[in-house]
Amino acid sequence: MAAANLVTVGLKAMAASYAGLQTTGHNIANASVAGYSRQQAELATAKPEYSGSGYFGRGVDVTTVSRAHDEFLTREAASAQSLSAMDGARLNQLKKLENVFQPGAGGLGDAVTGLFGALVDLSTRPADLATRQVVLGRAGDLASRFSNAAATFDDIQSNVNGALQAQVADVNRLAQAVASANQRITAAQAAGQPPNDLLDERDRLIGELSGKVQTTRIAGTDGSISVFIGGGLRLVSGASAQPLQWVADSADPQRSAVVLKDSSGTTPLEGDSLGGGSIAGLLRFQNHDLVDGRNLVGQLAAAIGGAVNAQQLRGISLQQPLGSAATGPLFQMGSPQALPRSTNATSGTGAPLGSVALSISDPTALRASDYDLRESPSSPGSWQLTRLSDGVVTTVNSGDVVDGVQIDIVNAQPGDRFLLKPVGPAASGMARLLDDPLDLAAASALTATTPSSNAGTAVVTGLTLTASPLPFPGTSDTLSFAALVPPVGGNDFTYTSSLTGVSTPWHAGQPVVGGNGYSLTLTGVPANGDVLNVDPTPANALSSSNGNANAMLALRDAALANGHTATDAWSQALANVGVRVQSAQSAAEISSGVATQTEESRSAQSGVNLDEEASRLIQYQQSYQAAAKVLQVAQSIFDTLLQAAGR
Amino acid sequence: MRITSANAFETSLASLQRRQSQLGMLQQQMTSGKRVLRASDDPAAAAVAERAMAAKARAEAHMRSLDASRTSMQLTESTLGDSGELLQQARELLVSAGDGSYSDSDRAKIADQLRGLRNDLLTLANRTDGAGRYLFGGQGSATPPLRDSAAGVVYDGSAGQLNTTTGEISPLSTDGRATWLQAPDPSAPGSTVSVFDALDTAVKGLLTTGQTGAQIGQLVATGIGQIGAAQDNLSSWRARAGQALTRADAIEGRLSQAKIDTEAERSGAVDLDMVAAISDYQNQQTGYDAALKTYSMVQRMSLFDYLK
Repeated sequence: MAAANLVTVGLKAMAASYAGLQTTGHNIANASVAGYSRQQAELATAKPEYSGSGYFGRGVDVTTVSRAHDEFLTREAASAQSLSAMDGARLNQLKKLENVFQPGAGGLGDAVTGLFGALVDLSTRPADLATRQVVLGRAGDLASRFSNAAATFDDIQSNVNGALQAQVADVNRLAQAVASANQRITAAQAAGQPPNDLLDERDRLIGELSGKVQTTRIAGTDGSISVFIGGGLRLVSGASAQPLQWVADSADPQRSAVVLKDSSGTTPLEGDSLGGGSIAGLLRFQNHDLVDGRNLVGQLAAAIGGAVNAQQLRGISLQQPLGSAATGPLFQMGSPQALPRSTNATSGTGAPLGSVALSISDPTALRASDYDLRESPSSPGSWQLTRLSDGVVTTVNSGDVVDGVQIDIVNAQPGDRFLLKPVGPAASGMARLLDDPLDLAAASALTATTPSSNAGTAVVTGLTLTASPLPFPGTSDTLSFAALVPPVGGNDFTYTSSLTGVSTPWHAGQPVVGGNGYSLTLTGVPANGDVLNVDPTPANALSSSNGNANAMLALRDAALANGHTATDAWSQALANVGVRVQSAQSAAEISSGVATQTEESRSAQSGVNLDEEASRLIQYQQSYQAAAKVLQVAQSIFDTLLQAAGR
Repeated sequence: MRITSANAFETSLASLQRRQSQLGMLQQQMTSGKRVLRASDDPAAAAVAERAMAAKARAEAHMRSLDASRTSMQLTESTLGDSGELLQQARELLVSAGDGSYSDSDRAKIADQLRGLRNDLLTLANRTDGAGRYLFGGQGSATPPLRDSAAGVVYDGSAGQLNTTTGEISPLSTDGRATWLQAPDPSAPGSTVSVFDALDTAVKGLLTTGQTGAQIGQLVATGIGQIGAAQDNLSSWRARAGQALTRADAIEGRLSQAKIDTEAERSGAVDLDMVAAISDYQNQQTGYDAALKTYSMVQRMSLFDYLK
């Protein structure tokens, strides 16, 4: 047995210890690098040497440098991160949206209350210019709060658009980087050893990518990884990546959409199928929360504005000459919109052939929703309307009124599709139109009186105009009551209008609907033969008349917004958005907790513990020293041998 | 479980930040005095508070219109009281005019006094509530509602009354025609008497010279009867005004109770329980303190310190 063998054993041991020291040093150096996996020099006993007296060990070999890595935990951490990023992105935007739905003194509800409070004063002092000025001020405040809310929605939308553009650029950069890592890994792997640091880098890139859009990965035999998004769309395959592209939504050009471009064309990514990632969160917010928020505010704006405007136009202003009907509405609101799809049939110039016109016929029946209008798939030629807030489908024809909106379909082509926004734009640019306090129509066009010759106790306590213009302007109507003996169907009177000659059965407690576009509230009971006179309000009484102010004020308690009062509708909208933010908050907390936990498990497996490395450092240092000692002994054996030979 | 150094730092840093943000939130609540600053803090409570605030604002606005109604009714009540006294004087004057020893010129003097009373009454009937509205303007009048004309005093206002809403219906004016011109005539059921016509007729009668004692007696009797009817009518309208005032007191009671209730409701929903908040804050502070201490202790420990 040659002394040279001992030298080899010592040298190999030194090399192994040195390799251990080097990986430990590398670990310590990279302890804080995100995505770094702890490395370890793998050692194996070298093949022994046979001799007559048995096998003699030939020391140790360094077989490879491995990384502490668990594929499952890495995927898990990436997908948890994906969900957390989605929830976080949606929550961030929802918090901005919540600023519009502010409770208390700065909110929309407060402005509504303020307007009705001023109308109470107008009812008390209809001729007072200062009071009228306050009403105009409150109306202006209400309008500007609504239009500010709409402007905030627009801001949020353009922020979302900007964020999505940036995210798409990030995804493209990351996908490209994954593709190029694939290429380098495939090349390096061919040499026989795993390129640990490159593998880490690729895992980190895919992890970051998952934060933008949820990924699934499939490993190839050559060491490359293919990345899929949106349930099977190939984003990275080997060394090539398909780009995502930001585009305007085909249904609503104000909104963002993201498409994947590949050789076969473009495929839109639907927010709901993306699964996770901040892009999914932003799209979900944009397509659901922001639309709902806009519609909730729009519904209120259209309902309050529409009802107050209608009432204003029924009244008489203080403008000269006295007695003419109010000339203009109090508020201007954004008009309903019907947007043709970008895929609709177009003329030679590129303008869509078909169009849809919307007009609000009953502001109080409006719903806080967008609608999808398309040709019915089952019966071509007829139209199918889907209310997007709850998915209710109705079949409509041109001219039909649905939820307070008249839908006129003009020249629509087969396959055309439209997005209808009856209330969404209402708050946009809402403004007060009247500047002159005299223009406020506080006075009623008609006045009801009971002649002293009446024997009954019936007194008129309220007169509301229901038509504008009046069917018989400037004309008096007399209602004559006749007792019904015996009562018919619970009614014990009929009243007959002198204008129309129409007789209506009646009993106390019911409103009396006259022949000239008005409705009366009576207290007390008439006697047989009693009459009520409803005359055009005399000029002398117009400045003190508060009939129309009272009617405007009554809107406060009227079911303005689809069965709810303005205050109730606002409170519900507030709670609706509050609950969304609250649940988004807890979703974000949960998913970020899960992400932290999975990242902890991944890093428990893969990360660097400095105490551990410190002890390894000592371990390898000692074995290095021991190996050096072996070499020293081998050298001294040589020396002894040489001396003996030299004598 | 292996702990990795970088992750251990991240985790403890994150939990420190969480504690810090909890402290920040509590502090925000304490400085604003509100538990619910945003709808998401407690959506149900925010909605309750929003409704309560609207209800409170409504009660406050109604109290303002109630004040207007009350002012008008108080003035109406006192005006009708004054008018009743003037009519009593007129009645006494008319009684004295029946004295057989009076000459035509004595009766002319009385007629003069009566005319003065009649004009005073007309002034009272055209009083305003101080804000430009005529107390007896009915459903509205831009000019004094009771106007002298060749045919006597006529009514320019619109019959009926103006109402405002205070949660209930409260009157802002009184029907001047019914009050002044249409007192039920006791001597001729179904017909009515005007206060001013009665006085005008009496004045005209007293100014007629060369009447017999019987004629004068008849004149005085008719006049007294009509003035009595007018007095009754004024008192009944005065009683109505008084009734409206009594009702106003009841309404005010309800409104101020509603104000208190809605404010309590709002406060209960969104205001902060300061005592609980302070104790919460101290709790959190102790927790944060402990977290900082353990953080500094744990992160200081390293094997490298012992390898010298």
